[in-house]
This record gives sequence, structure tokens and C-alpha cells, in this order.
Amino acid sequence: MPNILLLEPDRLLAKTYHQALTGAGHRVAVCAGAQAAIMAADKTQPDLVILELQLIEHSGIEFLYEFRSYPEWQAVPVLIHSNVPPTEFADSWPILGRELGVDIYLYKPRTSLRQLTATVREQLPVPA
Amino acid sequence: MARLGADETPILSQQLLLSVAEELKLPLLQIARQAEQAELDGQTSLLTIRTVADSALRLLDNYVLAVRLALEPERLAPESISVSSVLYDAGQQLDALAKSYGVTLEMNVAGRFGPVLAHRQGLQAALVSLGAALIEALPAQNGRPASQLKLQLATHRCRYGIVAGLYADTKQLSNEALIQGRQLQHHSRQPLMNLTHTNGAGIFVADTILKAMRLNLRASRHHRLYGLGTVLQPNHQLQLV
Repeated sequence: MPNILLLEPDRLLAKTYHQALTGAGHRVAVCAGAQAAIMAADKTQPDLVILELQLIEHSGIEFLYEFRSYPEWQAVPVLIHSNVPPTEFADSWPILGRELGVDIYLYKPRTSLRQLTATVREQLPVPA
Repeated sequence: MARLGADETPILSQQLLLSVAEELKLPLLQIARQAEQAELDGQTSLLTIRTVADSALRLLDNYVLAVRLALEPERLAPESISVSSVLYDAGQQLDALAKSYGVTLEMNVAGRFGPVLAHRQGLQAALVSLGAALIEALPAQNGRPASQLKLQLATHRCRYGIVAGLYADTKQLSNEALIQGRQLQHHSRQPLMNLTHTNGAGIFVADTILKAMRLNLRASRHHRLYGLGTVLQPNHQLQLV
């Protein structure tokens, strides 16, 4: 069963996304902040990360720099699933793509649970 | 045109409207996704959906009140009110939201402080706005076990008057965070980054209401807790009765 690490600071949304992803057959660890997420990643070795950018204290981008600094997590797919409209990130795409290895940006208000679970399924590495 | 506050900055700003609009996306998103989850597996809590919708409506109402108080100061006739009763009513309004977020709401209104002079509706709206914002923010703070999520509505006497506020075990509730947040409100999507993952509209609505009432939102301590609150003036005339 694939391990998903979900960084979602809002408790009610986290509960709903957790329900949808476990319902789709994934094992999900939920964290509200960047520090806790690094520790959870160490424990669960995620196959995919779903990341909100607006977190408390450390932003999602800071988490990504830390996460990618570990060799074992450099190839783990990361989906940005954020309340920040992608247009506000237009200038940062090269950094997100090239430096931090992010290919998918889902704008939370426009992404249904079905779209989220479908994208997760597509992005998960195919088992060897 | 918006009138000026004591510090000569406009009480109302387009930024506040923008913050409220942005903040309202969260409850709408929660409702939309929970409704979708109900379609997928039939499991959803109608109570949570109702609570979230009520909270969004309250934010809108409080924003409208802030605008009215700022534009029409004649609405601000102060009355003699009991702080404990205002805190109690605010607690009642916040109770369901706190339960949804797993936050324990406590009242600490011990002690007799006598009546204060304030605009009751405004004070209550400010405390509810502030409380709702803190309820959303507390579970998102790093390294905080669910069992420790407590928010206290409390009042105590200080040398300047009677303080009414909301308190939690988090040092992020500080004057520095508040001042920085006010400065960044016009430039940042997350001006209170160490306090909340949202744009903090509830806190700025409370700030605006209090400013319109010629009061200040500021950091305060209550026993060992940190918090945000306002200082109210006792009504000495009624205390003689």
C-alpha cells in the first residue's frame, strides 16, 4: 500500500482529504507543519507528498528545500495542493520545477477530491 | 472616506475586504469537499458543515459591523456591560467551532470586576472574530499534541482597567507578531505567519472593530497563558449603586 505524506494545516480539511485518500487505498500520514512532516517522512518513507504552501512558521517551500536535501527523498513526487493561486507563483516555477522537483500544482479551491485522488494515482511510482 | 484611527491610519482598508474574501474560501472549501466526500462514501458530518457555514456567516457579519462602526461612529453609544457576560456569550458562539477543531474552550471569569463602558455588540463581535481565528490556527501550530489544544476566554484587572481576551499556551500571541502582522497586511498573503496559516482575517476584523471603538487589540498575559485582548474602562458611576 503506497505511503502518502499529507501536509495540511487546516484540521477539518486534513480530515476530509485523509478520508478520501485512505478510501482510495493509500496509507496517509497527516502533518500540520513542516517540522513534524520531516519527522513523519523519516518514519513513514513516503512514496508521494501532498503539500500546502501556507504553513505556520516554516513555509511549504522551506519544507521542500529541507525534504529534497536528503538523498533518499530527492525522487519522491511532490504535489503542491495549495490555496495560493498558481498565478502568484508564476515567477517561482523555474525554482519549483528545476530545483525542487515539483511538476504538479493543484489549486485547492478548484481541485475536487476525485481530481486529487486521480492525480495521486498517476504520480505514484509504478511498483517494480 | 474611511475615518482615521487614533494612530492616524485608516480604520478601513481594501486590504481588509480582500482578507475577508480570501478567508471565506476556507469554509466554502471545507463545505464543498465534505459534500463531495458524502457523495463518495456517504460519510460526512452535517454538524461540521453547519458549524463551518455558521462560522463563515459570523465572519461576514462581523466584517459588516466593523465597516458600519467605522463609517458611522454615532452607532457607538457605549453602554454599561458585564465583561463576564460578553465573554460567556462569545464562548457560546465559538463552542461548536472549537469542538470541530478539537480545541477545548475554557472560561475564566472568576472575580468580580463590576461593569465596564463599551459597545456590547462590537466587543462581542471582536472577541468572536478573534476566537474563531485562533481556533483554526491552534491545531496547525508545530508540535502541539491534540490533548493540549486549549483556548481560554478570560478577564482580569490590570492597572489600566479590565482586560477581556483569549489566551492559549503559545508565545506566538505577542505584540511583536501583531505589529508585524499589521505592517505586512498590505504586502503579504500570510501576514501573521508564526500564528496562523490563513491570512488572519478574523484577527484583523477584531482589530478593526476595536479600533473603531477607540480600543486597542494587544498582547496580554493571563496567569501562564499568552493571549490577545483589549483593556476596557470600568464604569465607576454604576459601581457606587
